[in-house]
Amino acid sequence: MSQGLDRKLRPETLLRVFGIAFFAYLFFGFMLLPCLNTLTSIFRTKNAAGETDPFAVIRFFLAGKMKRYVWNSLKLAIYLVVTVNVVGISLVLLTEYFDIKGARILRMGYMTTMIYSGVALVTGYMFLYASDGMLTSLMKNAFPDFNPNWFSGFNAVLFTMTFACTSNHMLFLRNAIRGIDYNTVEAARNMGARPFKVLLKVVLPSLLPTLFSLTVMTFITGLCAMSAPTLLGYDSINPEIVRLAGSSTADEAFPQARAALLSIILAMFTIVLLTVLSAYERKGHYLSVSKTKAKLQKQKITNPVWNVIAHIYAYILFIIYMTPVVMIIVFSFQNYSAIKGKRLDLNGWTLINFIGKQDYTYTNDRGREKTVVGAISGVFSNEKTLGGIKLSFLMSAIAAALACVIVVVACNYIFNKKKSKLSGIVLEYSLLFPWLLPTILICYSYRTYFNSNDVWYVGNTNLYSKENVRFLIIMAYTVTKLPFSLRMIKASFYAIDDELQDAARNLGSSGLSTFLKVKLPIILPSVLAVFALNFNALFTEYDMSATFQSPQGITYAMVIQGMLADATRGANMNALGRRCASTVFIMIVSGIVLYLVYGVGSRDLGERLEIRKRRRERWEKLFGKTEKKEVNKTL
Amino acid sequence: MIQLKDIVVKFGDFTALHDINVQVKEGEFFTFLGPSGCGKTTTLRTITGFIEPVSGTVTVKGRDITHVPIEKREIGIVFQSYALFPTMTVYDNIAFGLKIKKLKKQEIDQKVREIARKVDLSDEQLQKAVSQLSGGQQQRVAIARALVTGPAIICMDEPLSNLDAKLRVQLRNELKKMQKDFGITTIYVTHDQEEALTLSDRIAVFNKGYIEQIGTPNEVYNFSKTEFVCNFIGDINRLSDEVMQKLKAAGADVDPGKHNYVRLERLHVNVDPLPGQVALDGKVTMREYYGLYIKYYIDLGSQTIKVIEKNDGVRIYEEGQSVKVILDPRDIMAYEPGEEVEVAQ
Repeated sequence: MSQGLDRKLRPETLLRVFGIAFFAYLFFGFMLLPCLNTLTSIFRTKNAAGETDPFAVIRFFLAGKMKRYVWNSLKLAIYLVVTVNVVGISLVLLTEYFDIKGARILRMGYMTTMIYSGVALVTGYMFLYASDGMLTSLMKNAFPDFNPNWFSGFNAVLFTMTFACTSNHMLFLRNAIRGIDYNTVEAARNMGARPFKVLLKVVLPSLLPTLFSLTVMTFITGLCAMSAPTLLGYDSINPEIVRLAGSSTADEAFPQARAALLSIILAMFTIVLLTVLSAYERKGHYLSVSKTKAKLQKQKITNPVWNVIAHIYAYILFIIYMTPVVMIIVFSFQNYSAIKGKRLDLNGWTLINFIGKQDYTYTNDRGREKTVVGAISGVFSNEKTLGGIKLSFLMSAIAAALACVIVVVACNYIFNKKKSKLSGIVLEYSLLFPWLLPTILICYSYRTYFNSNDVWYVGNTNLYSKENVRFLIIMAYTVTKLPFSLRMIKASFYAIDDELQDAARNLGSSGLSTFLKVKLPIILPSVLAVFALNFNALFTEYDMSATFQSPQGITYAMVIQGMLADATRGANMNALGRRCASTVFIMIVSGIVLYLVYGVGSRDLGERLEIRKRRRERWEKLFGKTEKKEVNKTL
Repeated sequence: MIQLKDIVVKFGDFTALHDINVQVKEGEFFTFLGPSGCGKTTTLRTITGFIEPVSGTVTVKGRDITHVPIEKREIGIVFQSYALFPTMTVYDNIAFGLKIKKLKKQEIDQKVREIARKVDLSDEQLQKAVSQLSGGQQQRVAIARALVTGPAIICMDEPLSNLDAKLRVQLRNELKKMQKDFGITTIYVTHDQEEALTLSDRIAVFNKGYIEQIGTPNEVYNFSKTEFVCNFIGDINRLSDEVMQKLKAAGADVDPGKHNYVRLERLHVNVDPLPGQVALDGKVTMREYYGLYIKYYIDLGSQTIKVIEKNDGVRIYEEGQSVKVILDPRDIMAYEPGEEVEVAQ
């Protein structure tokens, strides 16, 4: 009896019980219940007489007043699928398949969207193309009849998102095309196929599975677009949800229920698309059956006319990708008057957009000289901007780490041969649950559900009020990053050889010790990579924090968006310059993160030891032999 | 030293091991041999503690360890993949078990260097990542790691199976030498009969969860107890009824009603038959040149028989050439017809 009790109270048992309770709390408390509340809120609307009218919102929707947002989102998604695929496939073919001169530089240009995206990218495009943008101003000077508002609405959103959404093509389609066995191309040529025929009949068909996945992901991106439609003025679902969430019944009919309905519609589309995608993925991909795979060789375009056209096309795309980047970098180092005048001033170089404060002096209408103290300030000297950076940094780091820890613990359970398969599957699917829901639905649900003192399992605390909202944002960040983290970290768990665990146990290691000393070091590079990628995405995240719309939750992306408005006010003169500097800062942070993930992080112990050895040899060559360190130090 | 008594292992409804009984002597190199899925690895994992038997006992030096946890069995293991920890250096891999035992740093260092010297790993190699070592060096690290904690027994699960043929032969010799030097009781699992014959003091041949025969390499090869063992070990000819009738007619003491086998090297071509030997007429249909020896496929009319002849560079027979195959009926291994023999060579 007492032995049984002892066994029940073992630390491992207690840990397991705690773990199960934690995952249940996370799933029911922060995934299922808030979203169910949103779903049911649609049917809890009240009419003017104060009576519950379950179908009021649906009638409202069917009457046509909300269809516009759904249709606009669908239109954007459909157009994007075409334009993003055309541009994305072009980028990959031009850099990986055809022999285009300067392909390496072109590739770097095409990949710039990987280091800046979202609000930073949209504001970058606006810096050039908005009505007061650099290029628009240039065009207006050259052609006075030129419409300065050309870059707004649907066209502007489509243009911006087309070039912003090709990162996935540059990552996944590029990998897919590089995986093609060149012998298959040679075989087709050997059988008399012309190069274009080879491309159509051999190369592109083998890319179809990847293209299908990319198409679905692009469609969902278009459907759930937030920052571009918000900043460029396009009525689509997400900006409308955010607007309705902040509205009250005094202004319009049941705004909360309408927001809920739109979120659910978005979720339904996402679920259908992801179901189609997983069904397609389950069919399997084309696998190369070659025993000795040959590396793809670049194809020369033999027709000189087509060759010139391909080169021109490649470099036009390069200019489209690079111009905002170059302009933003250049103008981030220009002073206020140069940025305001939209012209490069070779004497106007400054670091003020990054650091430091200056007063702004001007002459008013009465001819008096006025000074606004501290009106010009850098990213790291402006309290509002710095506050946004600090908040985003902290919340992103905490959420990214939390998501990783939760997933690592879950994977350790899922991959434990001793545990039941069913409980592992339940755990896995509960962590994948947020994948089915648009982030906006989760955030909107949090905002409405936790904006009360009646939720018992959070201690009847209003999590939406004051600073509590930061906890809510962190939870939203964490929950939305769980599916991605799970997919990535699970893949690294597969790489752990079962025999390693057996070996550790055979050498006397306990379960916990085996996890800490053997399994964790193996998966650590992947976990850190996932942490870095999560952090990168969350640091400049806009959609979620915009949905929360709380003064205590002003993130960096929201500060950048705010700079658009600040630029027109006198008290914050260099908001435009600071916007450029912010974008440069984001590029640097993202660049460092990507370098750490794909550069340093991908090295194994052998490579690290080699590098350390070479470094030591170089050091000794330069400064003479140093004392030998303890050789058996654990690395 | 090690005794397995009436071991039964089940996976659900499937019985993987049926009443396994084995006794391994101290210092012996004992091999579990058999085709894939025959139960040899399951038996090894039962000894090491990764699998608990449904019934039966495992004893080491008289101590029942059937239900002793893996980490307390003091049995070293060399895994098929070596299972070297990729995030640790060679030194840390070897020191892992000693650190778990919480030995003093100095003692760990001394033991690691001592065992490294014994398995011929240099100080420089100790500081390398395991990925920087060759297959042979990795094997030595795996052995050093298994031996450093001073186990009474070492178990090896097909440690040579991932290597190319040349390295396999080289490491096989090293392995044998190391085992002799350390004098440690070794249980070795393999499906490679050549490996088993060259390395082992004794071999247990497994089939479908049963042990068919336990014996020295010579016993299992030349005096195979069952038809399965005779088929599984080495290449062999099953003699047809017609050939057996011919032998009987020639006065040989054979039973054509049985399944009769003869090894390839026991047959000879175009030599004078000694008393009791029988000459059969045949024609060479194919020849395989192996350098050290030549394998002939000879059509005897009712069946094609394989014969191995030493390559002396003089007596080499051409395809289509008529020859005489000399057979000594005493070399025939005969088995009662029974269950169909399935052999995955």
